[in-house]
Amino acid sequence: MGDFWIMAKKELKNLFRDKKLIFGLVVVPLILFPVMGRAISVGMEQAQGETRVAIVNFDSGQYGEVLIKTLRMSPNVTVDVVNASSLEEALQRAVAEKQNVLVVIPQDFSSRLEKNEKATVGIYGIFTTVGAGIKESISEGRINAVIEVLSQSIARIKVERLGAENPDAVLQPIATESRSVIKGRIVDVSPSVVSGVMASQSFSIPLIVFLMVMITAQMAAGAMASEKENKTLETLLTLPVPRTKIVGAKIFGTAVMGLVAAIAYMIGMNSYMGSFNFGSSGVTLADLGLKVTPYGMVLFVAAVFLTIVFSLSLAMLLAIFAEDVQSATTVVSAVIMPLAFPAFLLMYTDVSNMPAVFKYLMLATPFTHPIIDFRNLLMGNYLPVLLSVIYLGITAAGALYTTAWLFSTEKVLTAKISWGKRKRG
Amino acid sequence: MVVVKVESLEKDYGTVKALRGISFSINEGEIFGLIGPNGAGKSTTLKILATLLTPTGGRAEVFGHDVVKDAPKVRELISYLPEEAGAYKNLTGMEYLEFMARLYSKSPEEALKMVDIGAKLSGLGERLHDKVSTYSKGMTRKLLLARALMVKPKLAILDEPASGLDIVNAYAIRKTIREFARNEGVTFLISSHNMLEVEFLCHRVALIDSGRIIDTGSPKELKERYGAENLEEVFMQAVGKGGDASG
Repeated sequence: MGDFWIMAKKELKNLFRDKKLIFGLVVVPLILFPVMGRAISVGMEQAQGETRVAIVNFDSGQYGEVLIKTLRMSPNVTVDVVNASSLEEALQRAVAEKQNVLVVIPQDFSSRLEKNEKATVGIYGIFTTVGAGIKESISEGRINAVIEVLSQSIARIKVERLGAENPDAVLQPIATESRSVIKGRIVDVSPSVVSGVMASQSFSIPLIVFLMVMITAQMAAGAMASEKENKTLETLLTLPVPRTKIVGAKIFGTAVMGLVAAIAYMIGMNSYMGSFNFGSSGVTLADLGLKVTPYGMVLFVAAVFLTIVFSLSLAMLLAIFAEDVQSATTVVSAVIMPLAFPAFLLMYTDVSNMPAVFKYLMLATPFTHPIIDFRNLLMGNYLPVLLSVIYLGITAAGALYTTAWLFSTEKVLTAKISWGKRKRG
Repeated sequence: MVVVKVESLEKDYGTVKALRGISFSINEGEIFGLIGPNGAGKSTTLKILATLLTPTGGRAEVFGHDVVKDAPKVRELISYLPEEAGAYKNLTGMEYLEFMARLYSKSPEEALKMVDIGAKLSGLGERLHDKVSTYSKGMTRKLLLARALMVKPKLAILDEPASGLDIVNAYAIRKTIREFARNEGVTFLISSHNMLEVEFLCHRVALIDSGRIIDTGSPKELKERYGAENLEEVFMQAVGKGGDASG
């Protein structure tokens, strides 16, 4: 086994046996996120179960009864008719019976409908505790949907009575047919659905890149600083192993650990997000003709790899100046967090929409590249991605070279900054 | 044969002059002691010879290899034990020895032999299979010394090998060094501020104070030269504070 692999194996053993590290980076995301997601989805399921509606009917005409019957026939809705002589009394009863929603049919409901005037139904959401209000909101949605159907049916009958041949055309004279044009191709999907699919992508890729960069950078800094803190660095530097291999093995070890942590976060986040079932349209990027080709995937993997190498080298370079793990992680957060932050901005915007100065500042930051590259690859623009990979290659090599050079000088032992900890006497 | 040759070695840390042109040499098979108070320049000298620091002036050679220009070659010949050293806490003592042995050995068989020697030298027995994080200070120091010696270096550089240890552990460490030097013929450079330790271990010593070497010789020669009973008195007289020695 070569020196590099012996060193790398030691790094991996040391990292994977660190219980605190494993708990924070692997166990927490794998357990905490799904548990959080499950807790929310249980709340949603409970709310989406049976909706209990209290209804008070002050109307003496036929339409009030029709509305109650329609609500009773609706799925997942149980109607409790409240006998009350006033709105206040009805509300008091609904509160006492722990109802979520009270529907109030006014006295003039039928008469207004018969006179072709607009009738109004009151809906009261009853909040007894400070919670998410999911139940109240879902109940309101269901009642509105039922009233909408009833309202349309009544309108159709009225329009028919007025002698219209095609009541639907009178009620809705203009219809729309939405399509999208993607990469010059007409796709039979509405722009709002396309934007939804793209939004989910524009949210997840920056988040994953940001997490990976921060996790791996912190670990690399920790791995380097712990050599100083645990007084193992001096021995390490006098071993008959080239220093480039020592740095390389540390980068490799932390990259593997970072990858495991990133996968754990992705699984955890996926389970968390999946709990919500965000009204998914069932449309994927591939359905829209936005596919990444194998060549594109190679370019993307290269971009992500080089970004991580840059991040790890920079973190190690900073950690060389730190006296202990605490100082190292503080320094790395202070430097890398602002550099990685622009990646977050890309969740809400696109570089092409930015003023020139901001655009070039964003492009100068290596951490934004994987996100911009992924978008370019989806649109089939390979040249900017190729240029980005070259740029990332240069910055990663520069950072790696600087770190290895600094590591071969005595600066690795003599450079000192102590943050987050008071200097001892 | 001259193993270590140090000529007019200087080292500045900013405005602080840690070494002000020291010269000495060590012969093959010798246990050479560098003795002096804290801050005298002992550790700086050892770190330069261990290729960790770069001298500001002068030169130092190990087996004819310049410690700056031929640093990788020097690292193949030496084994360095820093004054304040630790081992990887998440590895067991045995895994730590195996890791180090693999880096120094040319074959798996050679590595196994090294680990075997290291295990015996450490005297840790079954505890070698426990994680380093569970070791006492004395146990860790024994493990580190075993690591430094098991590779049978041409030159072992030990900075305060028994510093901060209780009498039992310190005695065990000194005994190991003396026996290993006698049996294996390894050359040692040891720094210490413990004069008894040096007298017990070293064939020859250099007295160092404020970055300068004041005198060199065997403990016996030095005691005769200064008419002193022990090296402590020798040192105090050599630095011109002899009158205070009895106090």
